[in-house]
Amino acid sequence: MLVAARDPAGRAFARGRRPRGGSVRCFHFLVLLLLIASPPASAFGPMRLSVERVSHPALEVRDLRFEYEPDEGRARLEIAALRLAGQRWSRLRLDCPQARMSLQALECRGGRLRADGRPLPFRLELTLDTAGRRGQLVIADGAGGRVVARLATDGSLRAKLSRLSLQSLASWLPALADWQAEGHFDGEAEWLDRGGAERIRVRGTLTGGGFSSADGLRAGEALGVELELDAHTRSGGWDWSASLGWHEGASFWDPFYLEAGPVLEASGRLRGDRLEVRQANVTLDGVERLAASASVDLARAHVDEAALSLAGADLARVGPRFLAPLLSPARADQLRFAGSVSAGLRLVDGTLVELDAVFVEAGFSLAAPGGGVAFGPLSGHLPWRAGEATRARLQIEGGRWGKLALGAFDLEVALAGTGAHVERARVPLLDGAVVLEGLALRREEAGWSGSGSAFVEPLSMPLVSEALGLPAMTGTLSASLPGLRLRPGEIVLDGALVVSVFDGYLRASGLRVREPFGVGAYLSADVVARHLDLAQLTDTFSFGSISGFIDADVLGLELAHWRPQAFDARIVSSEGRYRKRISQRAVQNISALGGAGAMAALQRSLLGLFETFGYRELGLRCVLRGAVCEMSGIEDGDLADGGFRIIRGGGVPALDVIGYNRRVDWKELVDRLQRVLAENVSPVVR
Amino acid sequence: MNIKRWIAVLLLAFSSALAAQGNLEIDSPAIAALKGAMQQRHARLAPLYAAGAVGQAADGTIALRDASSVPLAQRGQVNSLIAAENADRLALYREIARANDHPEWEADVRRTFAQRWIDRAQPGWWVQRGGSWVRK
Amino acid sequence: MRLALAAVLLTTATACVTINIYFPAAAAEKAADRIIEEVWQLQESSRPAAEASDAAEGESKQ
Repeated sequence: MLVAARDPAGRAFARGRRPRGGSVRCFHFLVLLLLIASPPASAFGPMRLSVERVSHPALEVRDLRFEYEPDEGRARLEIAALRLAGQRWSRLRLDCPQARMSLQALECRGGRLRADGRPLPFRLELTLDTAGRRGQLVIADGAGGRVVARLATDGSLRAKLSRLSLQSLASWLPALADWQAEGHFDGEAEWLDRGGAERIRVRGTLTGGGFSSADGLRAGEALGVELELDAHTRSGGWDWSASLGWHEGASFWDPFYLEAGPVLEASGRLRGDRLEVRQANVTLDGVERLAASASVDLARAHVDEAALSLAGADLARVGPRFLAPLLSPARADQLRFAGSVSAGLRLVDGTLVELDAVFVEAGFSLAAPGGGVAFGPLSGHLPWRAGEATRARLQIEGGRWGKLALGAFDLEVALAGTGAHVERARVPLLDGAVVLEGLALRREEAGWSGSGSAFVEPLSMPLVSEALGLPAMTGTLSASLPGLRLRPGEIVLDGALVVSVFDGYLRASGLRVREPFGVGAYLSADVVARHLDLAQLTDTFSFGSISGFIDADVLGLELAHWRPQAFDARIVSSEGRYRKRISQRAVQNISALGGAGAMAALQRSLLGLFETFGYRELGLRCVLRGAVCEMSGIEDGDLADGGFRIIRGGGVPALDVIGYNRRVDWKELVDRLQRVLAENVSPVVR
Repeated sequence: MNIKRWIAVLLLAFSSALAAQGNLEIDSPAIAALKGAMQQRHARLAPLYAAGAVGQAADGTIALRDASSVPLAQRGQVNSLIAAENADRLALYREIARANDHPEWEADVRRTFAQRWIDRAQPGWWVQRGGSWVRK
Repeated sequence: MRLALAAVLLTTATACVTINIYFPAAAAEKAADRIIEEVWQLQESSRPAAEASDAAEGESKQ
């Protein structure tokens, strides 16, 4: 006898009980069971059934063939291709070496499954009382894993899963295989059908669970998860609620590293390929409340819409784990957080369209050589909308930049797309302020770029020098930098920084900061100083005493981490008539810079008896290149013996200071200078 | 005497420009600092290169290729390491272009380096060629 | 002397023009190699380190 059903619309099922799409999706083995449970006739003889194609949004079967040989007690089910719940199999085959079929009963013992010509590690035992609508299906995986499913007369199906290995399941579920899933699942599942209203309940525990994407960027290890799912049909779909407690193990979900602890409670609806997560609450350490909702297209594995709301997140706990890897992976371990944040964000098609963040006493700091940067406590609201301009208003109660403490200030930022605009911000610094005006920044792929102006309202030098740990200096520091430009890796400050100090002034221009946050951070500038009072200068740095005035040029100055790397510096006596005297101690100090030999020569000389000397001019030039200072003295002051005049004597008693070492190791020179400045003792003259 | 000095000054002033034809200036303090930082970091990156976790990308950076061999808890740090190295590498290309007074060379410098990192990679390391990863 | 000065000026001037147009690919490659050798410590001075890593690799293969 031959029964052939050829119906592309899937009516093959219409003869038996027709399983609903939803149940088919959830219990793969149910399909097989029901297929077999639908004998087309009360035939006992050999039977053959073939279905060319069954199509359904959730299910597709191609070339299904069923054969039953009662004499040999064998049955075989073959499916050339099966698509079910997004999974695909080809060349599926179920062999029943001991099969029995009758009007009342169906039996398959020692059933083996094959997919793609490969045997799957499952053994199948099925007994079905078709008349009483009762039956049992046992699937064993040979490694102690068992699924025992019982079909009861009331139409309910209950399954007990014990030590079900995800690894052996992976050989059967291509989606699991991609994730190298492992671990064991123990639990229960039940499917109830009460007058057309179906209900599914699953509860269980995953132990020793693990998974990993091919590149290892999404992985979990030693996972212990408790799972509960309850779903029932309603108007053509499923209403579901689930809870997931993660008790053990760790996971890396690029770029986040997560540890066991979070508990998820969620509910929503599933209809066709659309999964709605209406409400998901996550209990997470350091967060008061975290809720999410989403709409997912399962067929495309695509999140169409999602929203997330976060309340009372403790930044000190959440920041290092979730913010640092996002904000600055390169310096994640140098970022510090404090305070709390609440936030809401909305994504459409995987793109952020709305973000609101409310900071309460939040603090951020970045440690770096030289002190780093810190802001906070910071409070305020930062809204952002795609395709819409918004304004963020933040109150910053203080901060620190290197060794300089910043005062409280308000910051209003106009946000539009990837751009930010600050009309004016006045950041109090010591007794003055740094004022930023018309600052327009854009976030580009390579980093931030933009332009604006910056001004420094006069800061008193005693405070600046104290804050920077320098000897106390009088005067003021101010700056006007109208051409502030920012590019990835570079800050250009066109304009000038002026320090009025030591009765003269010092003017720095052509300021450029390169790689401001990198190891190669350096600052370049041209510094010009005019009419500095040497008496004050030498007194401040306890360098003995020199009266007079100097002009200094330091061109092409390059500082790396505030240490000079290159410059062309020249000091000359200022023009004009004024008293020019130099103390014994200052002469000694200058000589000491030239090395011990010069010092000894001086001490032995008769000139050592005088307290001060007159001089006509002084001049010194140091060109620093590659850690060596090329020294020279007063212009046209070179001696025939190779020496160069640093001080040209004049008056009574007069004294020339002559240098002989034209190449001085810069580090050595700085060491000597520090020694001279540190030795605060009166010179001993013999 | 005077003319000699002038020539010396001129030579000095143009020596960097002249040198640019034979050699590229790579001795700026910033380059030295970057080199130093990268050299230090290399001690931590070398095992990751050898294990195939990190490879030399075609664009002159390094990239995570397969994190599976890295313990789970350290995968985040590997990310940080990669980000830090890439920040330095990009800064290095920028600095070399700048040190030679041709900021516009940055892309060329980067391309050149990309090729050389790959060519000089040691046997067993992974490099990106024609969009896919190859083990040397 | 004047001639020498003129010559220097001339050569530097042409050198500058050349540089402005072309990227010195060969020089860049040389520079890259120098930096790569330093960063990856491929030089003679760090030979022991390289050998040590070779040994480690040999071990891991076993």
